[in-house]
Amino acid sequence: MSRRRVVLVDDHHLFRSGVRTELGDAVDIVGEAGSVSEAVPLIRELDPDVVLLDVHLPDGGGHAVIAQVAPERPGVRFLALSVSDAAEDVIDVIRAGARGYVTKTISGAELVDAIERTAEGDAVFSPRLAGFVLDAFRSGEAAVDPELDTLTAREREVLQLIARGYRYKEIAARLHLSVKTVESHVSAVLRKLQLSSRHELTRWAAERRLI
Amino acid sequence: MTTSPYRLPLTLPRVRRAQDERALGGVAAGIAKSLDVDPTLVRLTFALLAFADGAGIAAYLGAWLALSLEDGPAPSPRRRALGVALIAVGGLLALRGFGVSDSLLWPLALGAAAVMLIRSRGGVYVVVGVVLGIAAVIAFVDRNVGQADTSSALESSAVAIALLLVLGPWAWRLALERDAERTARIRTEERAEMAARIHDSVLQTLALVQREAGDPRRVAALARRQERELRGWLYPASRAEGASLASALETAAAEVEELHGVPVELVQTGDLPLDEQLESLVLASREAMANAAEHSGAEEVAVFVDVADDDVAVFVRDRGSGFEPESLPPGAHGIAESIRGRMERAGGTVALASSREGTEVELRLRRQP
Repeated sequence: MSRRRVVLVDDHHLFRSGVRTELGDAVDIVGEAGSVSEAVPLIRELDPDVVLLDVHLPDGGGHAVIAQVAPERPGVRFLALSVSDAAEDVIDVIRAGARGYVTKTISGAELVDAIERTAEGDAVFSPRLAGFVLDAFRSGEAAVDPELDTLTAREREVLQLIARGYRYKEIAARLHLSVKTVESHVSAVLRKLQLSSRHELTRWAAERRLI
Repeated sequence: MTTSPYRLPLTLPRVRRAQDERALGGVAAGIAKSLDVDPTLVRLTFALLAFADGAGIAAYLGAWLALSLEDGPAPSPRRRALGVALIAVGGLLALRGFGVSDSLLWPLALGAAAVMLIRSRGGVYVVVGVVLGIAAVIAFVDRNVGQADTSSALESSAVAIALLLVLGPWAWRLALERDAERTARIRTEERAEMAARIHDSVLQTLALVQREAGDPRRVAALARRQERELRGWLYPASRAEGASLASALETAAAEVEELHGVPVELVQTGDLPLDEQLESLVLASREAMANAAEHSGAEEVAVFVDVADDDVAVFVRDRGSGFEPESLPPGAHGIAESIRGRMERAGGTVALASSREGTEVELRLRRQP
């Protein structure tokens, strides 16, 4: 398998070089940018497999990069990376179109794995993101669109295991499913997260002027 | 900010005759500039006052004498005194022109003189001013008590309106300035507090990190603690008020992390106010975290808290060496007493799964209705 071509977007130079070192030869870092205005033309030009995207950027934030690039470069996948695990930050980039969200404390090996999964079009959920989604899709509120506004029992089960720190393979073994099925459940949840009009989600999005 | 926030706003804006927008002596334009109003408004006031026995003319002449030209030298004290006197005459004439009876006017004049003297340099002037002020009050009481003079009420309100017209904008601006000053003061205080906090926390930690640079585990623990502290300060969690399950578990996780130097990743959904039953759950969870941190050899402990309507579950997972529950030495009180005993007394259950890939302890409580 050829190495994934990755662009790194983060306004902290130190952090970028740290990630570069940690990733080593596992991926091919083809470019780096420190702001939205730098990142947009760079990504258009390089057309990478995956963009590792900081949620907070000085001139507009990660979602601004996705909004400007995604329409013309549908093949580029975004993985959000943040020091913060505030719910608003999560919802912000995911709804803009990121395929996943990991915090900056992630280990090098896990990050390589997350990049690989992102490149293949899978959703990457950290335990924290899973916990947040479970919280946001809590029962009790009437769903406007049941298809999008509620999780199936299976999806809930998968998310709970992710939140407990299980990996996809372990989840598959526990639930007697294939890894592919687990992945498709997670992707389905990601889609709901992006499209649902659930109150908790829309409120955050509205406060951030995303919709 | 060096000025005291408690300074009374008594200082009048410094008025100078305007050079650039002057029509005659620059008096009206200068006053307008310092009050931040339209010069036409001030000119109109002077013109109107001129009809009151020439009060406007006297006041204008006085002001022209008393005020220095912009960038010009200050007028001589004699010229200044003459000017002030003329302004006073103008003022008195104006009040008479409004129909203010002498019985009101004289006390007013005395009072004004008193205020001016008291507000001047001080010393003997203050004494004279206070005496004048008392004289003004006596004169006022002496001449007015017992006389229900309706016209004087009208006169007073006329004066009040005239004063409001001229002094209103100035008072308004003053209030705004004080607001701005207050905001600036609060900002300064906030900055000072932030500096103090960063000094107490981040700088201390950085110093410790430099000293312990040889011990990566210790450095990581220091960094974790600092991170948690800063986060707690920057993004205060919007948890339930008072003691809550989520905040108690957060504290427990932080304590374990610090004690054993192993990061505890805590993911929580939902929250409940803390009660006796949940307190037992928190203590049992803490023990499970401590066990994982101490014995498993894992680099991290993951904790997931799932709060549902009728039950609460806490999962404590590590990717450490694992163990055989049956082969525990008899002295292992941790699991037997601190976890299982506690949970059972609180009406909960404990499930344990351990393999070579790690251990997971599941603590579950059915909520008492």
